[in-house]
Amino acid sequence: MSQRSELNAVTDDKDLPPPSEFTASGISLPLVAIATDHAPRGEGEPGRAPYTRGIFADGYRGRLWTMRQYAGFGTAEESNQRYKFLLAQGQTGLSVALDLPTQCGYDPTDSLARPEIGKVGVSLSNLSEMETLFEGIDLGGISTSFTINGTAAIIYAMYVACADKQGVPRRKLTGTIQNDILKEYVARGTWIFPVRPSMRLIADTILYSNDETPRFNPISIAGAHVRDAGATAVEEMAYTLANGLAYVDELISRGGNIEKFAKRLSFFFYVHMDFFEEVCKFRAGRRLWARLLQERYKVTDDKALHFRFGVVCGGSSLTAAQPYNNVVRVAVETMAAVLGGAQSIFTAAFDEASQIPTEFSAQLALRTQQIIAYESGISKSVDPLGGSHLVEFLTDKTEGEILKVLTEIDEHGGVVKAIEDGWLQSRIAERAYERKMSVDERRTIVIGVNAFTGKEEVQSGESFRLDPEIAKRVSSRCEVVKEKRDNDAVARALARLSDAASRDNANLLPYLVDCCHTYATVGEMVAELKKLWGGFKEPIRV
Amino acid sequence: MVKPRLNRRELSARLSLAANARVCDSLTAAYVDSDDSYRIGITGPPGAGKSTLIGRLASTRLLRSDGDLALVVIDPTSAVSGGAVLGDRIRMEAVAGDPRVFIRSLASRSNLDGLAENLSDVLLVFESDGFKEIIVETVGVGQVEYAVRNLVDTMVLVLMPGVGDQVQAMKGGILEKADIYAIHKADLPGTTQLIAALNSVLKQKAPVAGSWAPMIVPTSVDNDESVDQLNAAIEKHRMWTKSSRTMSMVRARRRAYHVGSLVARRVSEVLDELSPEALTLPPAALYEMVILRLRANLPK
Amino acid sequence: MKAGPLRGKRILVAKPGLDGHDIGAKVIAIALRDAGAEVIYTGLRKTPESIAKIAIEEDVDAVGLSILSGSHRELVRDTIRCLADLHGHNVPLFVGGTIPVEDRPELLSLGVRRIFTSEMKLSDVVDSIVAALR
Repeated sequence: MSQRSELNAVTDDKDLPPPSEFTASGISLPLVAIATDHAPRGEGEPGRAPYTRGIFADGYRGRLWTMRQYAGFGTAEESNQRYKFLLAQGQTGLSVALDLPTQCGYDPTDSLARPEIGKVGVSLSNLSEMETLFEGIDLGGISTSFTINGTAAIIYAMYVACADKQGVPRRKLTGTIQNDILKEYVARGTWIFPVRPSMRLIADTILYSNDETPRFNPISIAGAHVRDAGATAVEEMAYTLANGLAYVDELISRGGNIEKFAKRLSFFFYVHMDFFEEVCKFRAGRRLWARLLQERYKVTDDKALHFRFGVVCGGSSLTAAQPYNNVVRVAVETMAAVLGGAQSIFTAAFDEASQIPTEFSAQLALRTQQIIAYESGISKSVDPLGGSHLVEFLTDKTEGEILKVLTEIDEHGGVVKAIEDGWLQSRIAERAYERKMSVDERRTIVIGVNAFTGKEEVQSGESFRLDPEIAKRVSSRCEVVKEKRDNDAVARALARLSDAASRDNANLLPYLVDCCHTYATVGEMVAELKKLWGGFKEPIRV
Repeated sequence: MVKPRLNRRELSARLSLAANARVCDSLTAAYVDSDDSYRIGITGPPGAGKSTLIGRLASTRLLRSDGDLALVVIDPTSAVSGGAVLGDRIRMEAVAGDPRVFIRSLASRSNLDGLAENLSDVLLVFESDGFKEIIVETVGVGQVEYAVRNLVDTMVLVLMPGVGDQVQAMKGGILEKADIYAIHKADLPGTTQLIAALNSVLKQKAPVAGSWAPMIVPTSVDNDESVDQLNAAIEKHRMWTKSSRTMSMVRARRRAYHVGSLVARRVSEVLDELSPEALTLPPAALYEMVILRLRANLPK
Repeated sequence: MKAGPLRGKRILVAKPGLDGHDIGAKVIAIALRDAGAEVIYTGLRKTPESIAKIAIEEDVDAVGLSILSGSHRELVRDTIRCLADLHGHNVPLFVGGTIPVEDRPELLSLGVRRIFTSEMKLSDVVDSIVAALR
């Protein structure tokens, strides 16, 4: 067969279904939306509660969204070189990915850690590694974002200790830690302790940060990972809001003032391909969060009601097959994020599904955002889709569906119980199975995977080969630090940490900062807390 | 002379043979009954936290003995696909990595009991390899547990407070057949009521002279002492069985159960082989037909 | 009861190392169960040693490793070694997850029977395992 007729054969997919009447999360859409499909919008002003149209009255004209880039992996020295290069290029925000041992609380010397050292991020087992990471970089002049959860309190404490050693006043520090443990139990897996003590650690970190490093964002409540795991857009937003409310309750119970701490809560989502569903998900989320805080907690400060969020365009919506298709997907998703009013956007590289992104693909990902920001004009007015009958209808409906899921969770006893029981985890696994079967059985169309597939060689770039010596080097460095430090001081600091942890009303952060200053390792601090709290036991219900 | 132990892979293969044996294989297999091994059955409704408790109990028992410990964990099979996800062993992580521990998960399959087919033989394989102690965990409450009652020395029923009126629901069944009642997650509300309800049922049984007085032990995995107390209760029962039963009595009972379950399975096999027409015969005629086939197909 | 293609087969689905993404493993476990298999799912954070021990004790017909952390080469090698230590060197091994194309020949040469990616249809994965176990 000639190439041309092969192409024709592939485009003749006659048995593809016509556009469905349902959004990806199952909401039924009118064929043509009209004014009476939705409530008349009386309070629809951006910058005014409940912020359906946006949290800032001047939208992107006032401030464009932040364009996030992922950093790499490897050793602290390599990352340090990369950071210095990026800073010289004018970047002011650095992003730090940690390796799995650091994320899960194991030292590089631990046997479970060995094959994973330095693979998905940098190994930061103690303060000296963090000092190497930021050697020659003024922590007071940059913003650093750490994707860290189980050990967020420790890594944050380490960052503060590092700033102390540089002589940088804590009040100058800015950046983010993800610090969202609830989603780890259901979708990401870097948990350490059981749920309740972990909630305490999260709250302690947020409250300490509010006082000591007020410019720092101590939590980014992420729905992204449950979405990537298989939840629908409605569930993603619902679980995220539920988690957010659980953290709010914990913070209040530990003495926090919601008018103050709520200002530093932010959120994080995926954007998938059902365009209007995504836009409306964000509008509904913004409205709901403000309403819930007003109704349940009587919050009055505007800034405390703001639903600030960042997004990732990519993840499981991208395919390994026909990777260039992903360029289009990421562009569509970015547009949905912009029209949904995101404060920061991370765009995935088109080849992310099969390999480490190349410089070319990483740059194209960034260009996608830049083209949309500077050429497309869609950011010129605030909430340009507002007032569209369909968009207002779908925003209302999405809000209703989200509330239904929130009620289900409440009926189960709340999000913490739902996780301890394994209920939430098995819901997500079921949903993932349904989603997979839907694609397998072609009820959901994914171009290149179950429609318009073609014979193609999968492009393969370099797969990351970590120098095997690195793991050894990192491990032995850790041992050297353990030998050279004042081990009595370490023991005393760990004992004080343990004592504080056994007192429910103590904030653990000052003790963690002290431990970091003695060069106690992540593994040691975690082990000390595990003695008291135990480790999380997965409730497996498949 | 001490018989050489099998390596774990060989043992495992033999366990599979035993678990999958057909009736005739089972009848001719020459498993040697063990004199000095001890079998504990632990059962209870799902969600009571049995598996985690068993893991902790196993830990405790390992500390106090020298020998190896086998754990047989029985999970239900899906009626639709015939498949199963056997997940309970995960909750026993505390002991799973110990080289002295051997955990085997079995699906309950289609055996009339609901119990894993050939469980009798599986236990004998462990014992013939020198395992002095076996814990059998079963799922749920009901017919299954009668079978286990017959196969083990000590029967523990794990209940959790606050789950409706379990005592009423289970009366007349396994409830009255247990030797020890573990009230798990005893820190939850409803414990007192549950214990009271249990006591009232147990008092209604006319005590036979010299019989065992069932013990009720509140447990919680967060409370090491409570696990020790459960273990102490088990040991107490164990001592009592030694003094009040003879091995020959026990073996007789177990043999009766074993052969009974083989006959029942064989009946089921025979019925499966019959034609649809045969099944329309009047009951007496069908009965005769089954008996004839049972006799005709005696294993060699 | 209809006989699924994996009826009578016992399959271990394992998560070695620190990788926390368990959804793929759970989805596969469900698919294998629905095909009639008895599936043992290990949960997260298992060492190669414990995976091998489980495989041998349960006399499984196959071991499936789900790895999305990039550490597949070491973890597969270690699991094979641990299985061999327990006389399990010929237990069929399958690997699923994010395995770059250029790493696949090495895994296959170590003895891995099949490598699965998340885009494969579940029914194709089941068929492939059925074929490999014949």
